Amino acid sequence: MDWQGQKLAEMLMQLLLVASAVAAFVVGYAMADFQLMLLVYAGGVVLTALVTVPNWPFFNRHPLKWLDAAEADRHPRPQSLANKVVLAALWCCPPYDKFSAPAG
Amino acid sequence: MQSWVQRLLTTATTAALLLLAACCAASALDAFHVPSVQAQAHVTKINRFHKQLNGNDKVTLTFNVSANLESLFTWSTKQVFVFLTAEYENSKNSLNQVSLWDHIIPDKDKANLQVEVKSKYPLIDQGSSLRGKKVQLVLHWHVMPKAGVMIRDRMALSEFNLPDSYTS
Repeated sequence: MDWQGQKLAEMLMQLLLVASAVAAFVVGYAMADFQLMLLVYAGGVVLTALVTVPNWPFFNRHPLKWLDAAEADRHPRPQSLANKVVLAALWCCPPYDKFSAPAG
Repeated sequence: MQSWVQRLLTTATTAALLLLAACCAASALDAFHVPSVQAQAHVTKINRFHKQLNGNDKVTLTFNVSANLESLFTWSTKQVFVFLTAEYENSKNSLNQVSLWDHIIPDKDKANLQVEVKSKYPLIDQGSSLRGKKVQLVLHWHVMPKAGVMIRDRMALSEFNLPDSYTS
């Protein structure tokens, strides 16, 4: 599962669970049946788990694109002092979002 | 990397939290439910009224109870526990409560009670202050929900006077 997939899975999970809880409560209250509410909610939870737990292909549409090793050799590390400071800063707190692949 | 176990645990935790929220909401809705209980109880016979060897007054009664408790039931009610108490005042305590009879109503179909019963538990005073005493019959009920808080209420039904002397 890639980064975008993780975000999607989390959102889907929360959305589906809240929706099934609300639906279960409304159905249970309307039919005046507490057990029915529990059954509807259990169904919603199972459905949510089926959708978000397995690593489905649609969670893997944005694979990370790593630089080729040959590409890195062609651009050796800059050695000036200013660049060293920048590199040190990047090493301490790297902007992770820069490394993940752009959407689409 | 995120594993399927992590996603399963997150789903389970969120699901449990939302279930708790649903149960709280169901219990909260019950607070707005206003039941209209109709009940009557009368003592039909005082079977025996005597002083026990240890000095306590003891009364066994027969009474009829008619109570329509159907309106107590909501969609989240598990059962209703109903009991009848005799309440009186004496020099020692401003309120004495003695349970005479109780009953568990498992569902709404059985909530319309029409019974004539002997007191399931005798009316025993801790002392001998019952002669000529005015006693009130009070119906209490505990509405036990499937989830959430139990609701208690009571209703004073009728009064009767115990005889001025022991029957045996």
